[in-house]
Amino acid sequence: MFHRYRGRAAMVAAGLLSLTLAFSSACSSGEEKKGEDLSAVRVGAMEKYGVGDQFKATEAVSFDILYNNHPNYPLNDSWLFWKELTARTNVTLKPVAVPLSDYEQKRGLLIGAGDAPFIIPKTYPGQEAAYVASGAILAVSDYIDLMPNLKEKLAKWDVQDNVNGLKQEDGKFYLLPGIHEKPWLDYSIAVRTDILEQLKLPVPKTWDDVYTMLKAIKAAYPDSLPFSDRFSKPTPGGNLFNIVGTAFSAPGGWGYQHVNWNEKTQKFEFAGATDGFKQMLQYLNKLVKEGLLDPESFTQTDEQARQKLANGKSFVISANAQSIVNDYRPDLSKTIPNAKIAKIPTPTGPAGDIVPGTSQLENGVMISRKARDSKNFVAMMQFIDWLFYSPKGMEFAKWGVEGVTYTKDGSGKRTLTADVNVLGLNPKGTKHLQKDFGFYNGVFAYGGTSELLQSFFSPEEQEFQKVMNGRKVLAVPPPRPFNADEREQATLWETPLKDYVTQQSLRFVLGQRDFSEWDAYLNELKAKNMTQYVDLCNKAYDRFKKAHG
Amino acid sequence: MVAIQTPRILAPKGKRGIQPSRGYRIFQVVNAIVLSAVVVVTLYPFLNIVARSLSDEAAIITGKVTIIPDGFNITAYRLVMKDEMFWTNYRNTVVYTTVATFIAIVLTTTYAYVLSKKHLKGRGLLVGIAVFTMFFSGGLIPHYLLITGLGFKNTIWAIVLPNAISVFNLLVMKAFFESLPTELEEAAAVDGMNTYGILWKIVLPLSKAVIATMVLFYAVSFWNSWFSAFLYMDKLDLFPVTVYLRNLIAGATGAGSESMIGDPDAVQAAITVQSVTIVLTTLPILMVYPFIQRYFVTGVMLGAVKG
Repeated sequence: MFHRYRGRAAMVAAGLLSLTLAFSSACSSGEEKKGEDLSAVRVGAMEKYGVGDQFKATEAVSFDILYNNHPNYPLNDSWLFWKELTARTNVTLKPVAVPLSDYEQKRGLLIGAGDAPFIIPKTYPGQEAAYVASGAILAVSDYIDLMPNLKEKLAKWDVQDNVNGLKQEDGKFYLLPGIHEKPWLDYSIAVRTDILEQLKLPVPKTWDDVYTMLKAIKAAYPDSLPFSDRFSKPTPGGNLFNIVGTAFSAPGGWGYQHVNWNEKTQKFEFAGATDGFKQMLQYLNKLVKEGLLDPESFTQTDEQARQKLANGKSFVISANAQSIVNDYRPDLSKTIPNAKIAKIPTPTGPAGDIVPGTSQLENGVMISRKARDSKNFVAMMQFIDWLFYSPKGMEFAKWGVEGVTYTKDGSGKRTLTADVNVLGLNPKGTKHLQKDFGFYNGVFAYGGTSELLQSFFSPEEQEFQKVMNGRKVLAVPPPRPFNADEREQATLWETPLKDYVTQQSLRFVLGQRDFSEWDAYLNELKAKNMTQYVDLCNKAYDRFKKAHG
Repeated sequence: MVAIQTPRILAPKGKRGIQPSRGYRIFQVVNAIVLSAVVVVTLYPFLNIVARSLSDEAAIITGKVTIIPDGFNITAYRLVMKDEMFWTNYRNTVVYTTVATFIAIVLTTTYAYVLSKKHLKGRGLLVGIAVFTMFFSGGLIPHYLLITGLGFKNTIWAIVLPNAISVFNLLVMKAFFESLPTELEEAAAVDGMNTYGILWKIVLPLSKAVIATMVLFYAVSFWNSWFSAFLYMDKLDLFPVTVYLRNLIAGATGAGSESMIGDPDAVQAAITVQSVTIVLTTLPILMVYPFIQRYFVTGVMLGAVKG
């Protein structure tokens, strides 16, 4: 089954490529400069729609939307979400259901075949770049004026750098990003706090403290490998390389960006070749060498890591807010009932008390270019602005209908109604906010104000966020958009380079390669076109800077 | 199993028969050991899944479940069977598989029969057309455009028609038909039977073995297939159960973003629910095997050896 899948994936890629080429040649010849006269596409749109206005189409309209179907709350036509949405906005959404397992593939296919719905949500920043050259996706930045709520957030919230990063070579952006008011980081490590108490250890603040702590645990439990990690599939050390790397100014794993921005030299440099990256690897290597970090951390499945934790063979593991509540505590309650575990504020390192600024962007919405020619185009943009960016729309998508799914007290604090449950917040509730009502749906509910984001957080998680919010937000690297040819070339270089960095990172960390060979490693990267790749990035950066400031 | 029985056939009457050579006996032993190892390797994961589907979540988390269920319970079965969409998709799978297999058998048999006739003009071209598709394909997007253009999207035809003829199966069947003695057909023709009569009354009754094999090949591949349904279906109630299963596993293993995760109860059940769904999905097609296997051995051999 899965073998075939790979073959198909390759086919999609090849298909897309040929299609992109066909499209781009078609477009370059037939491109006509449309005046931004939107009077013909205003059917259903509100004359005056601004911040604070409730959007309601002047006549009933409907839009197709690509829908990422989550198995935990399968799409249901009878959800209150759909009914209430139509009642409030006069808009009917017609979902094209795609299984979550292969959402990206189908999205690529539909866009490639010119058969995509107008609204294409659940697209992460960067993913849209592949479709830009084909002309199938609308340059949404041209139409921001139709979206007062988004415009306001772009102006008021400190996200300009992030949004600049979305710009393509033409200085426009093609994705309506989900935006968080403040950067937020969910991932850190979880520690068995009962062991800390027992050994009279403080909660570690830096990665050096973590080392000291692991040492002490190892001394008390010599047979254990105190830290055994998860989140290694499909990216080895996905979280660990990311959070440790961030502390050393060189995120790896999930956060690996190919090139890092060097503030001093004002140039991009290759991420896997920086000193910070080396220090990160040396730190992890030290943990492995001294038997503090399980070497299997980088290859085992999540389930294996959970088993080790549950069986008391390890005491520290990567975590987010959900995994504490949904995985570790239930697991441990069945095996070691008096165990306590908590997520600690993400440890810091030489880079100081920082959080990466990129965490302010969430997945967002692409608009099919065809939508621009629909007579309801303006109404659609106003509708999207209301649902995804207005405070009322966001609250609706997340919490539902006041009085039905939640209540609000004088201070503005929301509470689920007695019979509604989600995230285990109201265990007695018989109905589920996601499954039975269709709210708190990953397709529609994300980003927003910190208040709204944290409204579902437990007090413990809010405490965690408070610590993280006290940290300095790291500047976002400047935009360096490739043109179509460069992107193709870059992809050819990126993949082997990244694979090699991953592979050699593991060898260094696991002690299979000595750090005395670091220079040899750098030369091997050069042989894989590292220098040319970095030059390409810097060239694109210079060009963009010259053209768009 | 087959290999172990062979010596009896070779040496039916003790010393008088042909004695298997020493080398051959060693080969037999090695064969038996290797094949037993293969059996263990393939059977263990399946038994493990079955055991998990019947076990307590806690036992699975602590890694206690191997091939014997720990903390026996059938909660997960109840949970899965309660889900209407599971049964809707299951019914789809049965319908798609049945219709698709039927169409595939009819088309493959008739095509293969025609190709097996050496006196057919343009036979080489017809074989060429079929073989060409084994090596070249239009690519995914043209396929999609074609199917959509034909109006097959969101209908059963998108699933049952495009894959109706598997060229490999076609060639196996063609070889089988070529191995049938032409004298039989000539005799029937002399007695006044037309081509269809010959195919229906003479050839097909003699070809039960290969047809049973083809039914098995096709049915298994249609039962397991999810890709065409994923491509051409936009509605949940049209998906086969394989898509349901695939999504379930992906959803339960994805590193969660904030709203990806349902309530703890649902996540708790996930590992067992996955196993149950796998067991329920595999079971029917698994039960078909024993009944067709005997044809399977003789059928394919007959056709293939001839070539």
